[in-house]
Amino acid sequence: MTYTRDEKFWTGVRWLGFGATFLFMVFPIFWMVITAFKVARDAYSTKIIFTPTLHNFVSIFQDPYNFGPLLLNSIVVSICTVAVAIPAATCAGYAFSRYQFKTKNALMVAVLSSQFVPPVVVVLPFFTLFRTLHLLDTRLALVILNLSFVLPFAVWMIKGFVDALPADIESAAVVDGCNRFQVLRHITLPLIMPGVVTSAVFGFIQSWNEFLFALILTNRKAVTLTVGLMGLHTDKGILWEHMAAAGMLIMVPIFVLSFTIREYFIEGLTMGAVK
Amino acid sequence: MTSVNREKHVKWVLMAPTLLILIGTTLYPFIYSFITSFRFWKLTRSPVPGKFIGFDNYIRAFGDAGFWNSVWVTVVFTVISVVLSMVIGLAIALILERATKLNTFMKSLLIFPFAMAPALKGYSWRFMLNPDYGIIDAAIDAVFPFMADVVWLGEPYWAVFWLAMTEIWGWAPYIALVFIGALGALPRETLNAAKVDGASTFQVFWYITLPQLKPIIIMVGLLKTIFSVKMFDQVVTLTGGGPGRATETLNYYVYNQGFKFYDMGYASALAYLLVTTMFVFAFLYVRFLMKGEQA
Repeated sequence: MTYTRDEKFWTGVRWLGFGATFLFMVFPIFWMVITAFKVARDAYSTKIIFTPTLHNFVSIFQDPYNFGPLLLNSIVVSICTVAVAIPAATCAGYAFSRYQFKTKNALMVAVLSSQFVPPVVVVLPFFTLFRTLHLLDTRLALVILNLSFVLPFAVWMIKGFVDALPADIESAAVVDGCNRFQVLRHITLPLIMPGVVTSAVFGFIQSWNEFLFALILTNRKAVTLTVGLMGLHTDKGILWEHMAAAGMLIMVPIFVLSFTIREYFIEGLTMGAVK
Repeated sequence: MTSVNREKHVKWVLMAPTLLILIGTTLYPFIYSFITSFRFWKLTRSPVPGKFIGFDNYIRAFGDAGFWNSVWVTVVFTVISVVLSMVIGLAIALILERATKLNTFMKSLLIFPFAMAPALKGYSWRFMLNPDYGIIDAAIDAVFPFMADVVWLGEPYWAVFWLAMTEIWGWAPYIALVFIGALGALPRETLNAAKVDGASTFQVFWYITLPQLKPIIIMVGLLKTIFSVKMFDQVVTLTGGGPGRATETLNYYVYNQGFKFYDMGYASALAYLLVTTMFVFAFLYVRFLMKGEQA
């Protein structure tokens, strides 16, 4: 087969585009990674050849930056959010998928729309409520508010995975006298496990990256990593080499997690809308 | 109790935890903010809400130049970030469409910009745009020497553009992944027929592929719009709203009124104007999704 001029031209464009895409996507990450290994003097330059150091990673855990507690806060808040959201979402997602009832569509739209309520609307009343209850600057406050966006998302995602599972698989168990809870626990749950795990990872990423709630509701004890970055913006300016190291602390766990679920990534994010 | 009756209750038991949590975390603040938007309430003066003042907070918004500025910034930002992330996303999808090993590798890289914390994106770009040691600034200066004096985050329009750029960097790859999925699902017959008939690559794309992608384009466009309208994180970390007020998005303005000036009543009213805008797009998006649901 001979290639026409048209095909040759577009193959060239494709390769150029491939290079540009690679550069565009990878370069900002690459730049942050190498900056994290630079001493301050090198960080404030565009050098590519330099003597690497691990000093920044040690320094962010020491006074006055103390990222240790922040890391712990991020981990605890994200895990607790997921631990509440995923079991609840699995039950609800199953019910939305398997039952037909009058209020179903209205309820599903309500759950979906709740995700689109701007976070600032959610946080305004909770700020005053938590102030009264002395819950400001606690991890509990963050978990409660993170549920407002992690939960609806997980419900829709898990519903999509149950939808993809033929209902016949369950009917045999029902005939054998299992009740719905037993069916869900012993038949459906093992089969939709990849979906449940994907939703859990998503929920974790969303909580981990959350910024607005943590910025408003915490100031000392419960500060998370994303808000902690602002602590590196000092009177002397932004300490970029520390910022890059702290950035890697935020970024690397999320990259590892999202890489493990990459197969379900698109499916999950579009909430099953793109089939 | 008969078993049929029991079965009827099971679904409510299953949904109860989710519905209760969402009533607490979303419906309650949603209604409470709405009520607060009609009250006078400055936290600096009183820890409890003040008297009802009718539509005064809303009327105040319409005469507030800062509010109109934030609406304008949000509109410009949304248009730039939606259009560019869709166009770049589609271009990346067309580049990576064929399932070669290299493309599969690239596709797994595409997840990373999207998964990065938005607050961190803001700082990362702020670093690269610094006029003294920023790598992007240096690269642009090398290619376009006449731009050497531009302080990217110091010029109002450029600041909005770069704010959008941080968003495009994260979203274009995600949109590309969605489009790659959609491209793979398109029927091959029409494409091949058109090629046999001598249509050029561009004609095939413009007249056959693009129209078939229309539903996905609308859906992704709406979703991206919803997320762009509530832009906040990078405003704080990239520009801090500046220079002046050039990058104060509506969400950031609401935040300032509520948590810098502690004017809960006014902030709630502004927040509700944001809600109204979001719900127009959310309504369209939900209707679109539900239509697909029944088909």
